[in-house]
Amino acid sequence: MINIYSQLMSAANKSLFGLTLGPQNESDGPFIIGNGDFFIEIPVAFGCSFSDLTLTGAMGTGLPNAAELIDKGTEVGVESRLCNGIKVATYYLEAGLLKTPDMIITTNSCCDAMDTLGNLLNGYKPWAHIPRFNMHAPHSYDDASYEYMGKQLRQAVTFMEDVTGRKMDMDRLREVCIESNKQCQLLLEFQELKKAKPCPAEPDLAREGAEFKNWSKDRISPQVTEWLEVLVKETEQQVKEKKGIDGVDEKIRFLWQDLAGSWASGTLLARLQKELGAVCVMDYVSFGTWTPVDLSSEETMFTSFGKRFLLEDPMNRQALHTTDLFCNDILQIVNDFSCDAVILPAHIAHRDTNSRIKVVRDMCHEKGIPCLVLGIDIWDKRYMTPDVAYDRVKTFFEISGLL
Amino acid sequence: MDLIKNSEVFRKLSGIAGSINNPVIDKLKKDGGKVAGYTCSFVPEEILIAAGLMPFRIRGTGSKSADLANDYFQAANICSMVRHCFNHILTGEYDFLDAAIIGGGCDANRHILDNWEKSDAKIPFLHRIFFPHATGDLMVEYFRNQLADMKAGIEKHFGVEITDEKIWNAIKLCNEARDLQKELYSLRKADNPPITGAETVDVIVAGNSMPKEEYIADLKTLLNELKSTKTEEKNYKARLMIIGPCHDDTSMCDIIEGLGGITVTDLTCFGAKIIYGRVKNSGTDPLQAIAEYQVQDRPFCPKNLGAHPIISKTVFENIKDYKVDGIIGQNMLCCDTWGGELYILNKELKEAGIPMLRIEREYIPDSIGQIQTRVQAFLETITGGTQ
Repeated sequence: MINIYSQLMSAANKSLFGLTLGPQNESDGPFIIGNGDFFIEIPVAFGCSFSDLTLTGAMGTGLPNAAELIDKGTEVGVESRLCNGIKVATYYLEAGLLKTPDMIITTNSCCDAMDTLGNLLNGYKPWAHIPRFNMHAPHSYDDASYEYMGKQLRQAVTFMEDVTGRKMDMDRLREVCIESNKQCQLLLEFQELKKAKPCPAEPDLAREGAEFKNWSKDRISPQVTEWLEVLVKETEQQVKEKKGIDGVDEKIRFLWQDLAGSWASGTLLARLQKELGAVCVMDYVSFGTWTPVDLSSEETMFTSFGKRFLLEDPMNRQALHTTDLFCNDILQIVNDFSCDAVILPAHIAHRDTNSRIKVVRDMCHEKGIPCLVLGIDIWDKRYMTPDVAYDRVKTFFEISGLL
Repeated sequence: MDLIKNSEVFRKLSGIAGSINNPVIDKLKKDGGKVAGYTCSFVPEEILIAAGLMPFRIRGTGSKSADLANDYFQAANICSMVRHCFNHILTGEYDFLDAAIIGGGCDANRHILDNWEKSDAKIPFLHRIFFPHATGDLMVEYFRNQLADMKAGIEKHFGVEITDEKIWNAIKLCNEARDLQKELYSLRKADNPPITGAETVDVIVAGNSMPKEEYIADLKTLLNELKSTKTEEKNYKARLMIIGPCHDDTSMCDIIEGLGGITVTDLTCFGAKIIYGRVKNSGTDPLQAIAEYQVQDRPFCPKNLGAHPIISKTVFENIKDYKVDGIIGQNMLCCDTWGGELYILNKELKEAGIPMLRIEREYIPDSIGQIQTRVQAFLETITGGTQ
C-alpha cells in the first residue's frame, strides 16, 4: 500500500517549517501563530494560515541536528526539566527565527508547558504590538465545557475579524466542516478495521492521519479524502483476506499510551515489530472518537468544535482530563483492539502521565493486563537510547510470558 | 529580631506554621468543628468559612520523605511540593480533615485528587475545582459556575445551607485578614523592618491554618506589639524580594537573613499573592464577587495566559515601595509555569538594572550549602563586595 499520507505528512512538515520559519508569503494570507492547538477548520475557512509553535518545536526534534536544537533550547534557560519539544520551540522564538505573525492565539491546552510557551509568546517583547487572544481549555468534558470552549472559539473568530477587517464566511466554514466530517467518518472506519487480528495496517498510518487531521491546513482537501477512501478500501481487503502487516509475524499486540514521538516510531516500534512480532496496534495519537461537527446551526457547529477540541485532539484527551478518562480509554482500547499489553512511555515531561502511574499500574494489575512504565524522553533519545528502551520492552514481554 | 522572638502571639503563630496539626485545630475538633483542606490560593476560603468549615491550606511542612507518594508521582518529573503534600496525606498527617478541595493549579497538583480517591487515605468529602487559564467575562462566568458547584457539593455533604449572607460575612472576614496582613507587609517598607522575611512567612502561613477570627485577633495583637516597640538599628547588606510559587517555609529567608540580607517582600503563592486586593463585599451575588476577584483582579499564577503584565507591574511597584535591591526568583524543579514567568521577568529586570538570582530547588531543600553560596555571591554582587 502506498503511504500517500506519509508523503502528505512529509510535505506538510516542510510546509509547517516554511510557514513558521520561512519568509513571508502573501499567498498564505494572514498568519496566526499559536503555542498549541487551534481548531484548524477555522483558519482554513477564514483563508489564513496557522502555525502551532509546539508542533514546530517537536518536529525540530526529528531533524538531523535535533540534539543541537534541544541543547540550544536548554541554554535558553526557562526550566531545566521543561519538555524538550517546547525547549526547541523556545529556542526558535528567543533566537528570533520565527516569522512575525499577524495575530497570536494561545491556549493552555494541554499541559503546563503549553501555558509556559503561551506566556513566553505573550511576553516576547519584539511582538508586543501584535494583537493576541488567549483561550482557556477547561479540564472537564461535559456539555457545559463544550459550550464554553465553543464560545471561546467563536470569540476567536470575532478577534480574527477585528484584526483583519474581514468577515468569516459561514458558508465556507460549513463547506470545510462537511469535508472534515467525511474524513472523520473514514478515519473512524479505518480505526474499526484496525481491530482485526492480525492488525491489517502499519501503526504510522493511523497516527499520521490523526496528526495531519488536527493541524494541517492542507488536510482539508478532496485529495486527502480520496486517499482515505483508498486506505479504507485496501484495509478492508486486507481484513477480508486475513492479512497482517507485510513481513510481520504478529505475536504480540500492544497499546502505546502516549505520543509516539519523533524517534520511537522509526526505531523502537519498527524494531519491536520486525524482530519480535510485537505490533503497536493503537497509540494515544491515533485513537479518536471522530465525532462529526453538528452542522444544524452556527451554535451547534461551534459547540461541536469545542467538543472536538477538548476530547479529540490527542494530547488534550490524554493530558487535560481526569485519570478516570485516561484509564477508561486504556481498558476500551485493550478490549477493542485485543491488546496483550500496555506500554506507558511516560514521557519525562508529561506531568499528567507521570502523576498517574500507580493508578494505571494498579488498574492493569487488577485486570490482568501486563503494563510497563518506560520513562523515555519522546523527543530526545539521548535520555534513554532506543537500544536500552528496546531491551526493557523485550524483557517486559519475556517476564509477562508474552514471548 | 529579639522583639518578635519574645512575643507570645508570634510564638503561637510560628508554631502553627511550623506544623500540620496544631493545638488550635485539636480544640476546634474537640468542640465539634470541622476542617476543610485545600490546595492552591484560588480556592476561596470564603465559601468554606460560610459553610462553617475551617479552611486549612495543604502543605508539606515537616515532611522528611516522599517515598510513599513517589509510587503515585514519578519523583524525577513531578514537583516535590506536590509529592511531599501527598506523602503527608498517605501517612495520615491530614486525617483531621473532614473535606478537601483540590484546585487544579498545575498538572501535578490537580492529580492529587485522582490519586487521593484511589489511595487508602480516605476522606469524607473530596471535590475538585478548576481555575481558568485566561481572563475575560466568559472565564469569570466559568469560575462562578465552579464556585456554585463547590457550594452545592458542600451543602449536600454537610447538610448545611450556605446563604448569600453567610458568604458576604465570610468575604468581610477574609478581607479584614487580608487588610491586616497588608498592614504587616507595610511595616517592612521601613529601613529597619520590625519583622524579618522568615518571621513574616510564619505569620502569613498561620493565617491559612487556623480559624480566621482567632487569627485576626492574634494578628491585631502582633501588629500592636510591632508598632509600639522601637526597632533595633541594623545595617542590612541588601533588601531582597522573593518571587515564585509555594513559599510556605522559611528556608530561603533564613539563608538570606543568615547572610546579612533581609527579605522585605515577596510575590509567592503562600505570601503576597494571597493578600492582594479585596473581594467586593456587597452586591447581589457573592459568588460573582469572588469569581471577579480571583479571575480578573488577581490572575497572579503564571498558569494564567494573561498573568505576566500584572505580575510584572506588581513586581516593579514593590521594588519601588519596599526599596528592593535585588530579586530571588525561586521555583521548584519541574515547575514549568513559574520557570517561564521567571525567565520573562529576568529579562525585564535586567533591562531595568535590577539584579535577579534564579534558583531551582526542591521543596525540602537538600542543597542548602550550594544555595547559600549562590545567595552570598548574589549579595556581594549587589553590594559590590563593600559590606
